[in-house]
Amino acid sequence: MPGIDLRRQALLIAVFAIAYGLLAVFVEHSYYLLILAVVPVWAVMGLSWNLLSGYSGFVSFGHAAFFGLGAYFVALAQIHWGLSPWFGIPCAAAVGAFAGLIVGIPTFRLRGHYFALAMLAYPLALLYVFEWLGYQELALPMQREHAFAYMQFEDHRIYVWLALALMIGAMVLTGLVERSRFGMSLVAIREDEAAAEAAGIRTLAWKLKAITLSGALAGAAGGFYAVVLLVVTPPAVFGMLVSAQALIVTMFGGVGTLWGPVIGAVVLVPLSEFLHARLGNVIPGIQGVVYGVAIVAVILLAPEGVFWKIKDVLLRRRLREAPQAACASAMVTALPARNRSPESKIAFEVRNASKSFGGLKAVRDVSIQVMQGEILGIIGPNGAGKTTLFNLLNGFIRPDQGRILLEGKDIVGRRPYDICAAGVGRTFQVVRPFRRMSVLENVVVGAYVNAATDTIARTVAEDALVQVGLQDEAQQLAGTLTNKQLRLLEIARALAGKPRLLLLDETLAGLGAGEVEEVIAVVRKLAAQGITIVIIEHTMQAMVRLVDRFVVLNEGALLAEGLPGDITRNPAVIDAYLGKRWRVANA
Amino acid sequence: MREAIPRARRPIGLVLALALAAAVNAAAQTKDVEVGLIAPMSGPYARQGQVMKMAADMAIETINQQGGIKSLGGAKLKLEVFDAGDSVEKAKNAAQRMVADAPNLVVATGAYLSSFTLAVTEVTERAQLPVVTFSYSDLITSRGFKYVFQTSATGVQQAEGSLPALMEMAEKASGKRPQTVGIVMDNTAASVSFVKPMRDHQFEKLGLKLVVDETFTPPLANATPLIQKVRSARPDILILLPTVISDAKLLLEKMNEFGLGRGKLPTIANGAAILDPDLRNNMNIEQLEGVMAVVADWTTSAQKDFVAEVKKKTGEPWATQHFVTTYGDIWIFKAALEAAGKADRESVAKALHAMNLTGGAANFFPGNGKLKFDENGRREGASLLIVQWQKGVPITVYPAKDAISPPLWPKQ
Repeated sequence: MPGIDLRRQALLIAVFAIAYGLLAVFVEHSYYLLILAVVPVWAVMGLSWNLLSGYSGFVSFGHAAFFGLGAYFVALAQIHWGLSPWFGIPCAAAVGAFAGLIVGIPTFRLRGHYFALAMLAYPLALLYVFEWLGYQELALPMQREHAFAYMQFEDHRIYVWLALALMIGAMVLTGLVERSRFGMSLVAIREDEAAAEAAGIRTLAWKLKAITLSGALAGAAGGFYAVVLLVVTPPAVFGMLVSAQALIVTMFGGVGTLWGPVIGAVVLVPLSEFLHARLGNVIPGIQGVVYGVAIVAVILLAPEGVFWKIKDVLLRRRLREAPQAACASAMVTALPARNRSPESKIAFEVRNASKSFGGLKAVRDVSIQVMQGEILGIIGPNGAGKTTLFNLLNGFIRPDQGRILLEGKDIVGRRPYDICAAGVGRTFQVVRPFRRMSVLENVVVGAYVNAATDTIARTVAEDALVQVGLQDEAQQLAGTLTNKQLRLLEIARALAGKPRLLLLDETLAGLGAGEVEEVIAVVRKLAAQGITIVIIEHTMQAMVRLVDRFVVLNEGALLAEGLPGDITRNPAVIDAYLGKRWRVANA
Repeated sequence: MREAIPRARRPIGLVLALALAAAVNAAAQTKDVEVGLIAPMSGPYARQGQVMKMAADMAIETINQQGGIKSLGGAKLKLEVFDAGDSVEKAKNAAQRMVADAPNLVVATGAYLSSFTLAVTEVTERAQLPVVTFSYSDLITSRGFKYVFQTSATGVQQAEGSLPALMEMAEKASGKRPQTVGIVMDNTAASVSFVKPMRDHQFEKLGLKLVVDETFTPPLANATPLIQKVRSARPDILILLPTVISDAKLLLEKMNEFGLGRGKLPTIANGAAILDPDLRNNMNIEQLEGVMAVVADWTTSAQKDFVAEVKKKTGEPWATQHFVTTYGDIWIFKAALEAAGKADRESVAKALHAMNLTGGAANFFPGNGKLKFDENGRREGASLLIVQWQKGVPITVYPAKDAISPPLWPKQ
């Protein structure tokens, strides 16, 4: 997430690593050293969980599957092939990555709770599989000679340092992901998967990459855990507690952050261990109670985790010091005269498209041609199938029949991100910003689709913001914007993908009169740059001045099409949609 | 705090001991000898851990009352308890605490579940702390460890030894060899590995015909179809292997209902779970009458007045397997310390390897009457017992030399 710049982040990690490493130097008690070695393992598990679930929002209850496979791989490889954990742990990461991919392909067909519950099934199933295979108890063979070559150290501090190195590796990896289009795309998916896909994010590909990388981290953590624990049993590595621990340390520390899982592990793992060690036999189960209380307290007092709480407190203090910059509003320029000379080339064409939802025929045999550079208005009463038509156009739904041609090429059956990449941008009837991301980040996500590098994406996004007049709000969270700003943000996000065709779905809805003018000015500016625009809108007064041509839909079918002047006088259109007022006005 | 005084006196004690070694028999050395118990004291297995602690406390009280370790000048035993919790991870952490926090510990027993013991001994082996365990897993004593000693018959030995023992007992009790056998089992690992050698070769070798063979996934919803099949096939013996207590209850209730209970159909389970006093709270104890279990240890005829003492001192109705073995382990510690004459880990480990006892601690472990460990730490000649519920109490009924009472077997 934004806020902490790269150098400071790296410095923080380095300071933390050195402090933790030094701590181990001064501890001699082997039990405390064991705890020091276990804390990073759970931090890595938390980071692994966070990489998938924290950033993408696909909550996994099944990270034990990757952890356990890693642990069993290291144990079995050493027992059967004499493979040292030095090689075994990297291989365990590969095993975890592979498992992540295999699990991800079918499971990402599900969403929300269904995804979470399906993930829960994998470790439970694996637990029984490994019991059935006869691996109830595996011990890593003790190496009396060449102990070092098999990662078996007399000096327990080395385990701490190795664990620390693993954790730093995971943190750096997470940091890199967070800053790249990988992380941004995942966050966009978490915020609104459909909007992300419409903005050109290849959602499934990113999710699969995330679960693969997440699986790799969990596999490595499991492999190292086997080395520390020396004994691998199905409940210890595939058990519910493993998945839960990954989730709990992250939730405690802060979901979707680099430091969250680390904070969670550093606080909770020693706390629960200490409670168990000191009070476990006096008051059995006390560790669970206090552990639970700590989690409940965090949920009540810092529901987004300790990291966010600290950040919010710090931020508030800083805000109090610095007065807010004056809000500059984009100047409304007078409408330039629209040059109505669309080229005769067809930019976009719908041929005999139909779509039914059960018995409801939402779109019936509609054919539309959109000329290059024109502004086409789509009007019609509620339920006429306007938005359904847009969903057909940008690939959200597939027509039952008919063809959709973009610059002569059939795009039926292509995914929304693909269509977006081909040059079709869209906005939504109900705004769908990525609320927890900044305005700039929202637009950057939209820019990735046609930007070779992240730097280019950022430049393009900044340009797009200037175009719509949101440059001053660039660092604001999208969730704090006004309705008009959100509408402009959506246009900017669509614009950043360098579309040749822009689909605007009720972009003027809910705006005041002055605001409508501002947005119309922006739309006109875009049209003037040669972007073909299709707009759905109910605000007729604005529309007649904005569009070159109208298409009228009624009950899913094409009712009329023509120039604004003709349409507003068309009796069928007046009866079906415009109402008597227009008959009077035109009489 | 308590250690401070002896430590301050040590030089004086040393001088005295040197000066008066011949005349006074090391009476000045009064330092306690710390022995450990690592077992689940919290979580779902806490009850077993508590039983083990009761047993250890009782043994230590008796030993200390009888004058402690004589070769160490009457030093008293002192128990240090470590909570192995409910997971392998916790057990391993507890072991790490044990070796780090209690440097004076000379020997320990534990850790209930085999998986816990495996993890614990990985730590204790590296700390060269001898551990005596009753856990079954063959893996415990096949890692080439030098500081682990296993008193039970191992898992493989138990699976191989159970059916021959049962056949021998059946033949003696009823006068004829059983011809048919039935299996009703759940699909847990313990049950599956228990019947594996039987299915693989033992039934064939022993001339037994498997007439009913049913496997279910716990928890069992309805035992009627299973028991109906048992009734119509009517095997001479039934191997009944539920793991979950509620399943055991359901199966036994149905057997009673169908007239197969109370010893009418000889029924045998594996492990001591079906012999636990807790069962009295969960089911009608009369329905357990006649049910048998193959176990690696129980109260035998060799332990005179033991059960009476257990009842008096702990309030437990009988000594369960873990009570008997933990109690016996403490007596093994005593014997090893007596032989070692020194309270350090290495000497105790050496004494355990050299041990060859008859009577005493040996009475608490079934076998050839001797207590001797092989080079891997396995007890030589470790054998099995068959225990049967008789009048609401599980009683050892086989082998004859250990039996407290003869088996109840239906006369046909």
